[in-house]
Amino acid sequence: MTITKREKIFNYTLLTLLAVSVLFPIVWILGVAVSPSTTGTLDLGHPQWSNFVTAWTQAGFTHFLKSSMIITGSVVVLSTVLAVMSGYAFGVLGVVGEKALFPLILLGIMIPMESIVVPLYYDFLSFHLTDTYQGIILAHVGMSVSFGTFWMRAAFRTVPAGIGESAEMDGANSWTRLWRIYLPISRPAITTLVLLSFMWTWNDYFLSLILVSDPAHQPLTLGLGAFSGRYLVKINLLAAAALLISVPVVGLYLFFQRQFIRGMLSGAVKG
Amino acid sequence: MTILRQTPPATGDVTPAGSIRRQRVRVSSHRRRQRWLGLAYLAPALAVYALVVLAPTLQGVWLSFQHWDGVTAATWAGFGNYTGFFGDPTMRQAIEHTLFFIVFFSVLPIVLGLVSAALTARKDVRRAGVYRWIIFLPQVLTPAVVAVVWKRIYAPQGPVNSALRAFGLDALTRGWLGDYSWALPALGLAGTWAAFGLCMVLFVAGTQSIPSELYDAARVDGAGPVREFFAVTLPGLRGQVAVVVTLTVLGAIRVFDIVWLTTRGGPGTSTITPTIVLYQRAFANPDVGAAAAIGVVLAVVSLIIALVVVRLSEDDK
Repeated sequence: MTITKREKIFNYTLLTLLAVSVLFPIVWILGVAVSPSTTGTLDLGHPQWSNFVTAWTQAGFTHFLKSSMIITGSVVVLSTVLAVMSGYAFGVLGVVGEKALFPLILLGIMIPMESIVVPLYYDFLSFHLTDTYQGIILAHVGMSVSFGTFWMRAAFRTVPAGIGESAEMDGANSWTRLWRIYLPISRPAITTLVLLSFMWTWNDYFLSLILVSDPAHQPLTLGLGAFSGRYLVKINLLAAAALLISVPVVGLYLFFQRQFIRGMLSGAVKG
Repeated sequence: MTILRQTPPATGDVTPAGSIRRQRVRVSSHRRRQRWLGLAYLAPALAVYALVVLAPTLQGVWLSFQHWDGVTAATWAGFGNYTGFFGDPTMRQAIEHTLFFIVFFSVLPIVLGLVSAALTARKDVRRAGVYRWIIFLPQVLTPAVVAVVWKRIYAPQGPVNSALRAFGLDALTRGWLGDYSWALPALGLAGTWAAFGLCMVLFVAGTQSIPSELYDAARVDGAGPVREFFAVTLPGLRGQVAVVVTLTVLGAIRVFDIVWLTTRGGPGTSTITPTIVLYQRAFANPDVGAAAAIGVVLAVVSLIIALVVVRLSEDDK
């Protein structure tokens, strides 16, 4: 197919236009964040990079960061371990009653979190799990099971059965086979799962809003909400704080673009 | 969601037909043991899932038939919470807004995504990765941040109003998110902004797997770009369209974060959505049964949409 020069120019113009319209709001916020004006007017003539530091201290982010790290770290580890085990069960070993169990687990991909959060809140309330790290971690992990199982099952199923079987002949038990054979082969899929799990947990607002009302255990996203709700908020600092929260995920996305996009497009109706 | 199609093959006898009977018995008992082992591996995930997802789902159904303020004893409501929706003007508004959001969160991004995929996908674009990175970026931003961004864009002193003033259209300037008639489309456009990248990236990937002979054949038959799009590109993207419709429509139905963080459903109830009503009923002035009923309806509607879209996308294959 021959492409004329005009066609080429048109393509780049279109793509650039789209990219600019996506980037514009974000870049604008970046401009606001470094402007000295607290009312949100853009003033790039006098960039004030210290805004980021000021925002960090005024919003009390050191504290919220600690909560975010505890929650996200635990959720990523626990949900990945559970996903690997359940994916191995469905994808390799087979499961008693899997004709019923697998659809039951997939159901969780389609049930919106918003639908179950009300009874979940009252359950957690009676188990004294609201306003605790354990509670919010448990909630995140539970909601990650569906996608994690689906994802790791698909990954393990691409491993040729013969490899596992021959290891079995050699006397390797199921745990050894998982550890020595299936995990190393599936490392790319696990990387993607870890990244997605990190992003979903770090970015979560809704679940934390409902289950964690005590600021001492709230993650950064809620800290930002509290900061923006304050009387006489300084808009440049708010913008700076918002950008700071996005740094970890956007940074990972910079290096792992392919994994993020592939994972998120794989039919994950998840939030 | 194509995932439903891959139901696992029944784990049964894989032993060749001619093998000795005793061996078959041994192998199948081995496989049975292995499947119990599988259950053991699954158990931790299943337990957590049952606790956090399954039990609350069932409790939600149960609660939806109760009148409960969250504190005192609940009373049986029958279908009262469901029939209550019909006479509830807030709920009606919320549903209308959902339909409106479907246009902005789903229809518009899909159309834009299809057009831009059709225009660019089959040509070699250098730096394609950079464009893709940028266009997909809104998908990885946390809603808490997206809300801050759009509040600023639509603020009285924000760039939208500055642009209007620059063109001498001062009369049109306003605080967009505080405006009774403009807050809803303003939020809608923010949703289009966020969802567009997902659609485009998926469609571009899809067009790459359409065999180029189809395009050549269309050219030979004298099809112009428009005919080519409808005869080749669109049918080739059927699966991708199904995924995107499911993702974005469900996104529109359950939208909460961006609305809550920008307008709280206001001004008045002009941007209220079912999930905002759910949140208010559940926590602000507890009518837990009604909130649970909204949750049940949301779940049922989501399941129906997912199943219908999957069915439709598979039908004519």
